[in-house]
Amino acid sequence: MPDLDGVTAYRRDEADAVATCVLDDLTLLYHHRSGQTHMVISPVPEILERMADGAPVTVQAMHDRLARDYDLGPVDDAVVEIGVHLDALVALGLVRPA
Amino acid sequence: MKHAITLRIGPATFRIGSAWRQPIADLARLYAAYPDMGGAIADFTVRLQPTSLARRWVRPSIFITGDHGLADAAPMSLAHGLLAAEMGMNLQMALGWRRHLLLHASSVEKDGRVLVMTGESGSGKSTLAALLGERGWRFMGDEFALLDMDSGAILPFPRLVSLKNRAIEVVTQAVGDARMGPLLAATAKGDIRHMVPRTDAVARMGDGGMPALLLFPRFGHDAAVRPLGQGEIFMRLTQASTNYVALGEAAFTALTRFVAHVPARAIDFPTGDDAIAMVDRLWEELA
Repeated sequence: MPDLDGVTAYRRDEADAVATCVLDDLTLLYHHRSGQTHMVISPVPEILERMADGAPVTVQAMHDRLARDYDLGPVDDAVVEIGVHLDALVALGLVRPA
Repeated sequence: MKHAITLRIGPATFRIGSAWRQPIADLARLYAAYPDMGGAIADFTVRLQPTSLARRWVRPSIFITGDHGLADAAPMSLAHGLLAAEMGMNLQMALGWRRHLLLHASSVEKDGRVLVMTGESGSGKSTLAALLGERGWRFMGDEFALLDMDSGAILPFPRLVSLKNRAIEVVTQAVGDARMGPLLAATAKGDIRHMVPRTDAVARMGDGGMPALLLFPRFGHDAAVRPLGQGEIFMRLTQASTNYVALGEAAFTALTRFVAHVPARAIDFPTGDDAIAMVDRLWEELA
């Protein structure tokens, strides 16, 4: 497990690519590198979509990107929650520290 | 080994060797209508061997092994030798087959389209497939449905149908004694008796069909039909597959396509007759 203390930005690498399948109540991600299938629900697919360009993104910047399309509620709470999701995605190997 | 037989079931060929005569004699009788594969190169070898030299004669005790084995498999009594052979073949498929995505499911076909039924042991999927196979459907298998990852078709694996406890009497009444194997009393799963599929099921064991309906049967409850979310269906099918992980992205693609295209329902039923009426109705409505 990577040490996530002090991680300020995240990015997706080509090596982290997944095949995606949207079923009616969740999204499946097949992770080529590990051969694992992940079952995820909102907001994970939305976060990954907004990292498709491979550029580093901070938690705050991810919040701002998501806030363009969704009502996320109080900023501080939403930023914390998005940070938790990003760290979980790093732990799964789907996202890496920038 | 001293006694041996080579059998083909669906696309898989098994060579079963035994230190004792009886299990092979039982297989030869019950699989008499299957293709004679003597001399063929088998996909898998199954060996029924004594747990120790003495156990060949004194309270004979079978250890099931083969190309793929489980180190801690419990030894079985020679009286249950036929069951040991069937378990040995299932074990090879579950651990070694890679040409298709394996679903722990029974399947039957009508008009070229396939009904797949999956569930735990005791769910009634074997009994239902056996009964439907006597009522206008073609029996394709009671244990494994083979999903072709290129075409999306389900291919048959019509081994003997393994019936347990109360199902034995129900099915024996429907098919007659001549197509039933010996009663294997008091196995780890209760009483077991094997049923020989109809000759048309054996003759057409190379013919697959596209899946048209998926059911999750559950025997012993009041009649009920429930829809399921696609996520739950996918999860249950990965749990019901022994080689999903091993087959990688091809399995992911094939299984997601299956889930997205095949209508599915969970059905509870108190008796076989209720289940058959529900299957007929759902097939009419959904397939």
